[in-house]
Amino acid sequence: MFRLQGSKTLAVDLAGDAVKAKNGSMVAYDGRMTFKKMTGGGEGLRGMVTRRLTGEQMAVMEVTGQGTCFFADRASEISLVSLHGDKLYVEASNLLCTDSGLRTGTTFTGMRGSAAGNGLFTTTVEGTGQAAIMSDGSAVALRVSAQYPLFVDPGAYIAHQGNLQQHFQSGVNFRTLMGEGSGESFQIRFEGEGLVYVQPSERNTIGGNV
Amino acid sequence: MSGPVVFDPMTLPSDDNVNAYTFCVELKGSQWFLQKGKMIAYYGRIEFNGIGHGRFQGLIRTSFHSPLHAADWVVAEGSGKMLLADRAFDVNSYDLDDGNLTIRSGNLLAYQPTLALKQSIVPGFLTLIGTGKFVAASNGPVVFMEPPLRVDPQALVGWADCPSPCHHYDHGYMTGVMGGLRAFTGIGGASGEEHQFEFVGAGTVLLQSSEALMAEQPTGAVPQQAGIPGAGQPGSGPRRPGQRGDFQHHFGL
Repeated sequence: MFRLQGSKTLAVDLAGDAVKAKNGSMVAYDGRMTFKKMTGGGEGLRGMVTRRLTGEQMAVMEVTGQGTCFFADRASEISLVSLHGDKLYVEASNLLCTDSGLRTGTTFTGMRGSAAGNGLFTTTVEGTGQAAIMSDGSAVALRVSAQYPLFVDPGAYIAHQGNLQQHFQSGVNFRTLMGEGSGESFQIRFEGEGLVYVQPSERNTIGGNV
Repeated sequence: MSGPVVFDPMTLPSDDNVNAYTFCVELKGSQWFLQKGKMIAYYGRIEFNGIGHGRFQGLIRTSFHSPLHAADWVVAEGSGKMLLADRAFDVNSYDLDDGNLTIRSGNLLAYQPTLALKQSIVPGFLTLIGTGKFVAASNGPVVFMEPPLRVDPQALVGWADCPSPCHHYDHGYMTGVMGGLRAFTGIGGASGEEHQFEFVGAGTVLLQSSEALMAEQPTGAVPQQAGIPGAGQPGSGPRRPGQRGDFQHHFGL
């Protein structure tokens, strides 16, 4: 059972079950816990090969035990996400903790990833259960529906869930080349039905200065 | 289990904070000036255009007055709701009613074109004049203070209506050769608080609750004329805010 202790610490109550968490993110625990290192990016032999190929690596540990375990990472703000059989796409660096019932994997993101400066691949979390994601400043969850597509700056994007199509769009024109760019030339357009999580801060991106 | 509140275009606030770090601006065919790269997401049909080009000449003549600074600003135009944020710093909006406010250049995120933006005589600061709303960032919540007061240079965000920002030094502590050595080297117990900005008169001073500065945005050069602060050759200009006492000064060199 996930709950937030303040906005920057995640408390997980365990009763003999397991959760997967970012390696080294445990700050305290109460009861008996065991920690086992794993490697993220997907399970099994196929997962290992994808991890090698994609570089979307994530050092993960499996925590089992009885009691309450507390997680935090560099005072990042934490948001809880509930999954009911749908899929969460999240940058590996923004994923803090997942229920043991959730499967993690790696997918190709295309141009969006390369413009956001965090690689061509992203982590997926699938199944039913809870996950905790991290952001620099409290994340804002924005709903995307058929009539309201959403445009997001690649540097502020952290995660999305649901049935969404993403299109990378660029407003680069001759004025950009003349050094009169708008600073907002690259955007990701989300269409469909789902949620997008953005953080109130921008990573340094290749497209950010154009 | 409480997930984050989910927003859609209906539930997003209009010209108000979404949370402490994110501000939502509603455009209804109107325009806003914003600093490059501070938009994080938007719904609707909004266009971002670099300024300094034909289309916005009229607008820029009335609300934008620092010509060399133009490359850092864009005009957002259209209808929809857009979210602004800056490096997870606190953001807040302020209303000016036929007033004036001077702010550190890096802290200003966006403003309505009903306000006029001008370079301040104080290097590194910008002045907004008129009636309208603007959005500014600060490291930690902003505190409003009434003069007379002395503030730490790193905590100063801006000031409204009081025309007397000046430097203040604790001279008893700093005079003489020993005082100069102490201020320069820190040996002998410099408190780091020997230098403040002083404000007197009627008005409001805005302070942030930390001494972390936002990166300074270039405000553009000023014309090379006698009598204009900051117009000297670069490097030998006036003392920057927060600069410590020069060694030579204390020896009368």
